[in-house]
Amino acid sequence: MSNLKVRPLIVVALCSCIALTSVAPAALAQKKTAPVEATPPPVREEFKFGKVDVEVLEQVNLLDRRFERDGIVLEDEATNAYLFRIGHALIPAGLTLENVSWKFRALRDPQPNAFALPNGSIYVTTGLLSLIDNESQLAAIIAHELTHVMRRHTYVQNRSNRKKFLTMNIMAAVGAYAPGGIVGVAIQAITMIAPFIIVATIFGYSRDLEREADLKGIDMMISAEYSPEEMVNVMKVLDRDIEGENIRLFYNDHPALRERITYLSSYLGGRADKVTPQMELNREKAAYFRTLESLMRHDVQLQINGGRFRSALYIAQRLVDFHPDSENLFWLAEAYRTLGPRAPQLTEKELTNSAKKDAAKKHEKRTDEEMERELLATAAGQENWKAHQQKAEELYQRALSADSPVAVAHRGLGMLYEKLDRRADAATEYEKYLEMAATATDRERIQRHIENLRRPPQ
Amino acid sequence: MTVTGPIVLSKFRKSSITFIAVLIITSAPAIARAQFLHPKISKKETTIRNVIILPAKVSVVRDSMKGPEGMAAESEDLSGRVEKMLAEVLDKEKHVKTLNTPAAATGEGDAQQKYSVADFQTKFDDLLPRIMKKRSDVKKARFTIGDEVLNLNLDKSVDAVVFIRGQGQKLTGGKTAFVFLVGGAPAYLRMQIGVIDARTGEVLLYTDPMLVGDPTTAIDRLRKALEKAFKKLPVVSVQ
Repeated sequence: MSNLKVRPLIVVALCSCIALTSVAPAALAQKKTAPVEATPPPVREEFKFGKVDVEVLEQVNLLDRRFERDGIVLEDEATNAYLFRIGHALIPAGLTLENVSWKFRALRDPQPNAFALPNGSIYVTTGLLSLIDNESQLAAIIAHELTHVMRRHTYVQNRSNRKKFLTMNIMAAVGAYAPGGIVGVAIQAITMIAPFIIVATIFGYSRDLEREADLKGIDMMISAEYSPEEMVNVMKVLDRDIEGENIRLFYNDHPALRERITYLSSYLGGRADKVTPQMELNREKAAYFRTLESLMRHDVQLQINGGRFRSALYIAQRLVDFHPDSENLFWLAEAYRTLGPRAPQLTEKELTNSAKKDAAKKHEKRTDEEMERELLATAAGQENWKAHQQKAEELYQRALSADSPVAVAHRGLGMLYEKLDRRADAATEYEKYLEMAATATDRERIQRHIENLRRPPQ
Repeated sequence: MTVTGPIVLSKFRKSSITFIAVLIITSAPAIARAQFLHPKISKKETTIRNVIILPAKVSVVRDSMKGPEGMAAESEDLSGRVEKMLAEVLDKEKHVKTLNTPAAATGEGDAQQKYSVADFQTKFDDLLPRIMKKRSDVKKARFTIGDEVLNLNLDKSVDAVVFIRGQGQKLTGGKTAFVFLVGGAPAYLRMQIGVIDARTGEVLLYTDPMLVGDPTTAIDRLRKALEKAFKKLPVVSVQ
């Protein structure tokens, strides 16, 4: 009897489910792609600080100080002033916000990423700054991040997460990667201090809030005379996976990026038609590279330190293309030397999800030296190493014969020859380096290498 | 009865096992974890007399019913406390002296020095997951962060550099009651400590002490955990 009563209910429930599952995706898709004609006001006027928000603010103020103390912030006045200038051009004139003090800084982190703390600190990593092409693209990133602060997205998201217990799952997801350098220096530090910020930095805010930031960003770019289509272009620039990383950050999350490109292009419409001379100027690649050339060199070293050899090569090559016959040759040589037996680019097969997962597992188990040894045992690895060592040697020599030769090129040659077991040559190059760089901070280390190389092999 | 009997028994068995596990964990607040020594240390070819301790990175979160919340200030305090306590333990138990940490490591000094220390800390963070994956390989001298350690230009008398990492949680009242009734992770602190040769960069010792209890207040447990974690390190003979 009871079965008879229950059966119609089950049928109704099933029908409703089928109806919902067939209608809901269509509705969602419509929402995702629907053109947006108007965006909300730049500031969330109705926002009032609560106890939970003040706690968040205290945590992020500490995070700011920690970034500085731990040497994660790039202490380069010219770069930070450049970021500040772009940031201030984008902020609506006369805008003041409670508990916000604007700071724009570069973070010494090779992982391409940018994020905003709700206290007004905007951080862009050296990894991201080295990938983009011009000031307008940087403005697009900063405008997006500014919107998160102005529209109080961190507080809104934090309140929502507390309701949904979401942070717990996110912490578990991050826990699978940390501790370790895989997720980048900034994220490591954030995980330690303010877990809720992880939501924004790794996964982005909710889709609605991200969309809001993208669209408001375009409005801000137009007001500050930055070409708005660079917002779309920057997404395209970031839509590449040089390292075949398993973890996808907000700024290089492919499916989300493609969706963003679609709705941004639709929103741009006629807005991109008006091009002012200033807009043209802000799109100049050379001007951008001139300003950030030394930062990009710094980033090549960070990429190498972080085992991101392919990214190091990519950035160093861009530097040489922009400014050949300069110190940049040394950095390209360093990139080739450290690339060793690895292929310069990943194949289509290596970029599949399963291959990336396997690579991540391997990376966790083996050290870089072990992986290199493994590759050198293969014919392809040997071939790569031979080609790269030749390129590196040639580039070091070119760096030394440039108008202003760089002493570190001798050190690079020393390291290359040491690896090739050309002991006498290596020692000579190291000695030349120490002769040229009298105050080198690595003097002791190099001297030890010379002693070892000059000692007869046992 | 024939259907529900085994389920009830299985549930009972599961809850008894959980209860016993919780009992064991809580009755052993400072858990002795394995220590792994490089052959140079175990064969006494190298003696660690002087060390520097780089700023610890210990983070604790407050786990409430609404998920974990950051405890930035408390984490900073705890990091400092662990560093200080480890220096005391090494001195008292092993006669190993802790020399002053380079100014750059504490946020002072010029940018280049600060970067060197920061990059060195990152190098350890990169290596740590691999050590954790196969801790016993420290005994096979498998792990090193390279001789770039010499670029820190430390005092000549420094034999080793100590890295400390830690993660922990304390529970709010509500969460404590929830854990007691339903189960779940208690308040704890788990650390990973690596001792690196200051000349070659080799990992000389790795240990991962753990304590159960509120990491921000359980000072005695923390000391005991650190003492146990360095039990195998040879004592330096005092002349």
